[in-house]
Amino acid sequence: MQGLKFSIAAAAIAAGALIGGAGVPTPALAKDIIINMAAPDWLPTRFMQEEFNRSYKAKSGNNVKLVIDFIPWPSFYQRVAASLSSGEKKYQMIVTDSQWMGDFVEGGHYLKLNKYIDADPELQAVIADMHQVLKDTSSSYPYKSTNYYGFPQFPDNLVTFYRTDLFCNKKEQAAFKAKYKKALPCYYHEWQDVDWNEWGQIGEFFTRKKGSPLGDGTADDDFYGVAYQAGKGYDFSSMQVNSMVWDYGGDIWDETGTKPATGVVNSPIAVKAMEQYLDLLKWAPPVAKTGQMDIFVVQDLYMQGKVAAVVDWVGVAGPVIDKKVSRVADKSAFAQAPGARKSDGSISRFANIGGQPFVLTTWNSEEVVHEALDICKWWLSTPVQTKFVKEGGGESGMLSVLNDPAYGTWSPFSRAFADNIQWQKDIWHIPEFFPLLTEQQEQFDKAITGQISAKQALDTAAAFQDKTLKEAGRIQ
Amino acid sequence: MTTTAPFQTSDTTIAVTPAERSARGFLGWLMAPERRGALLITPAIVTLVVVNIFPLLWSYGLSFFSYNAKYITKPPRWNGLGNYIDLFTDPEVWGRFQNTAVIVVGSVFLQLVIGFLLALLFAKEFPLRRYLLMLVLAPMMLSLSAVGVFFRLFYEPTFGFIPRSVQAIHFWLTGVDEPVVILDTPVKATLAIVFADAWMWSPFVMLLVLAGLVSVPKYLYEAAEIDRASAWRRFSTITFPYIRSLLLLALLFRTIETFKIFDVPYVLTEGGPGTSTETVSVYLFRVAFNYFRTGSASALGYIVLFGVIVLTSLYLYAIQARGSAAAEPSD
Amino acid sequence: MSKRDIRAVGIAGWGRTLGAAIISLIYFFPVLFIILTAFKTRQDALAWPMKFIFAPTLSNFVSVFFRTSVEGGDAEATGFGLYFFNSVFIGGTSVLLALIIGTAAAYGFSRFPLRGNDTYLFMILTTRMMPPIIAIIPIFVLFRIFGLSGTYVGIIALYTAFNLPFSVWMVKSFFDDLDRDIEDAARMDGSGEWRVFKKICLPQVYAGLAATFVFAVILTWNEFVFALMLTSPETRTVPAQIVRTIGGSMGVDWGLMSALETLFIIPVVLVTFALQNQLLRGVTFGTIRR
Repeated sequence: MQGLKFSIAAAAIAAGALIGGAGVPTPALAKDIIINMAAPDWLPTRFMQEEFNRSYKAKSGNNVKLVIDFIPWPSFYQRVAASLSSGEKKYQMIVTDSQWMGDFVEGGHYLKLNKYIDADPELQAVIADMHQVLKDTSSSYPYKSTNYYGFPQFPDNLVTFYRTDLFCNKKEQAAFKAKYKKALPCYYHEWQDVDWNEWGQIGEFFTRKKGSPLGDGTADDDFYGVAYQAGKGYDFSSMQVNSMVWDYGGDIWDETGTKPATGVVNSPIAVKAMEQYLDLLKWAPPVAKTGQMDIFVVQDLYMQGKVAAVVDWVGVAGPVIDKKVSRVADKSAFAQAPGARKSDGSISRFANIGGQPFVLTTWNSEEVVHEALDICKWWLSTPVQTKFVKEGGGESGMLSVLNDPAYGTWSPFSRAFADNIQWQKDIWHIPEFFPLLTEQQEQFDKAITGQISAKQALDTAAAFQDKTLKEAGRIQ
Repeated sequence: MTTTAPFQTSDTTIAVTPAERSARGFLGWLMAPERRGALLITPAIVTLVVVNIFPLLWSYGLSFFSYNAKYITKPPRWNGLGNYIDLFTDPEVWGRFQNTAVIVVGSVFLQLVIGFLLALLFAKEFPLRRYLLMLVLAPMMLSLSAVGVFFRLFYEPTFGFIPRSVQAIHFWLTGVDEPVVILDTPVKATLAIVFADAWMWSPFVMLLVLAGLVSVPKYLYEAAEIDRASAWRRFSTITFPYIRSLLLLALLFRTIETFKIFDVPYVLTEGGPGTSTETVSVYLFRVAFNYFRTGSASALGYIVLFGVIVLTSLYLYAIQARGSAAAEPSD
Repeated sequence: MSKRDIRAVGIAGWGRTLGAAIISLIYFFPVLFIILTAFKTRQDALAWPMKFIFAPTLSNFVSVFFRTSVEGGDAEATGFGLYFFNSVFIGGTSVLLALIIGTAAAYGFSRFPLRGNDTYLFMILTTRMMPPIIAIIPIFVLFRIFGLSGTYVGIIALYTAFNLPFSVWMVKSFFDDLDRDIEDAARMDGSGEWRVFKKICLPQVYAGLAATFVFAVILTWNEFVFALMLTSPETRTVPAQIVRTIGGSMGVDWGLMSALETLFIIPVVLVTFALQNQLLRGVTFGTIRR
């Protein structure tokens, strides 16, 4: 077993004795246990490492160390897939994108936790405390089952970042009102009534040439209205397209996984939603035409003050309000992402679940499993989660934390996050997700770069989905 | 070349020890003068066989199976020629070969032109030449993935200096201030990759051509001066013969290397728009390590390997031809 | 170039220098951009018009090794110290092994040609010319079977084989260049083969061996695909970790990326400058000498 070092060092015994003095049962021997965890390199995981080093004490009295291997996002899947399938068995825990779950469970790499949960009331309490959406998406496989594999390390959500100096500017507000006969959203509650059509109007309104008036000054460079992800890599367009398809009542597959995708994926509703997705890109910075406007480019464009409002993940929002790296740090606010207007006037605003659960690997000894589960319990405990949110590390999916009346005030984006969590759904939770995702991204990229229409893209994606699901024996 | 013998395809077997010899006799036998060559190259051959050739044979076997390397517990399933048939009939695969071919032709051509011009610039001795040469050679030293990452930034319409410069020049010329977008169509994206790759590797061609230019004896030019030969005539009759064979080598070497192009499209365009810049190597990587269709990837690998073997033979043939044609003095 | 030479160059020569300088600088500009960006803050890095005059900062270079990730937290080691060590250790060891095995083979090929010599040489070159991606598919599976994934032994063995063809061809080209008369004279005097090799041939190619070593290290230094797929957190090399969003939550931190790349190419550029005369041979794997 790698990563586990048993030692009977005098120091360890002394440490055990010290803890023993504090009223914790003294273990016969305090062991050094190192838990290696693969994780994407960003704030939510960096925070976890730092908080762990600062405050974690194992209940068992063992010297437990959490060593996170921070892997840059673009090679994250590659690296984890390589590690798991190479049999090197380096990781005891893994922060995993929820859609990989099926793949790696089927591959025999992720540990099923039901046995441990059944035996441990504390874990049962954790499960009970998790938001239902996260139980469905982050923790279970198959999707929405009660086979538990993980816990949310950090739940993420698509929200709107917007410029208060523009949206709350009197001159701009008057001009917008004159043109569109409605108010420019400035406050959080005003943004809650913004649908995708109005998002387009905002885009049109704020797209300005260099030198034209903008807010109280003039635009020092070409300025653009709105942007959201439209990138070819990984899932950098599907996350937004899926959201819009769901908003309008369409779907991205037959969730039961038993009926063909054709007719669902390329339904008239889905085609219409995707057409609007493509149409709204005309108010985005020119990089949108290249299919390279991924979540990081959107973040950069916004932080450099090139666009009035964007939809992006909470996970990349931290730097936006950091003066050292962002030009718009003191004039940014966050709101729920737009949605589709329903016939009763309310707004449907589905979004793809973001963020990642953490899971345990199958090759751990019982001892390591228990230490790892203790870390999960520690991370998901109310004080730690509260600190995580309050210090800007990320958001929480635990009801005991989310339901705190003050939750929305803990960070600039936590209100938008909390309000939107109930709208989360997940992409295909099946082992074939990567070919499905890649094919869909390819088709969407062709549509984004104007080579094919929305309908052609969805038709091809649907046909590919049917073929893949048939080969996998999921549908007839 | 010391061995100017033509290519031999016959195999020489490194004779294996008859077991009956005693240890001392064996050692003596082994150290005999006629076995020196074999003895010296054996460690190299063994290393390559163990680390390279054996795995290749293994993957040759795998290419006849359906196999997913991610699922450790599921054994490979016999698929006969299925993988090969699928690959040969899949238009997607041939599309990737076409993309690669276009990039290879474009990039190698550009490398030859730019490299040749740079070599002309640096052919004569002048002050600071050694230092300026280093500036031109620097692109070759960058890591491939960094070239992809940074050209992605350089081409970005809002932040990249290339489109912004073009935009500024266009504005200055015509008074129209429109953003310049480079990676939005398959043709332009392909050109963008060609340009980045050619920028990185033209110095390579320059080095080769430079070697040729420097080797032209001075008296030939002096004689031409007396004959008042035109510049073109001087070039075509004196200079070109000295660099012809090197240009051919540069062409072949860069063709082989560009054929493998992976990092630059993988990072710069991610194969987009659509799949228009996805090369064979990128596709192979995807089939192997995103889809984990290990058997199918092995089969495709073999098709690519065949191409490389053909190109490498051509390259070595050209080297031999050059060696015997130039009949260089062995200094 | 001596002072006298420079004076002798005259106006025309300096005119050529000026022309060459302008073209070289244009050609060099993307690299210059990377080096300048390494000294810029995140805000300045993406500014247009591009900033040539700015308050330089060394913080990007510090951030390569130590970074504060959480506001108000302590600066923590990033792991790049280890990755740099691995790059040097794995690269150095494998190249040294390849050089020892390769020199023996090169001497054999050069001095004691076998029947089928060219076939072996061809086979050796082919293993170098094929796309690494072909080799990595079976090696990935075999490493798993033999438990070599993520170990130093595995990656060093792989890089040794990766560098071997290069070493053989390079060193052979140096042996081929030697004047055979000296050796033959020594043989006439009754020197044994080992003595001829050790006392006569080897000393003459020391410079060539050094050049081979350096070029092989550079090739290994930049290798990405094997490193990405076959190293573990403990054996990871630098290229495997240079991807766009290095610096994590900060998205694409161009200053940090540039600092890393700058650190990465400085040794390479210095070495290349010192070895300019061997460069041609180096970049063509020793197949072309002049």
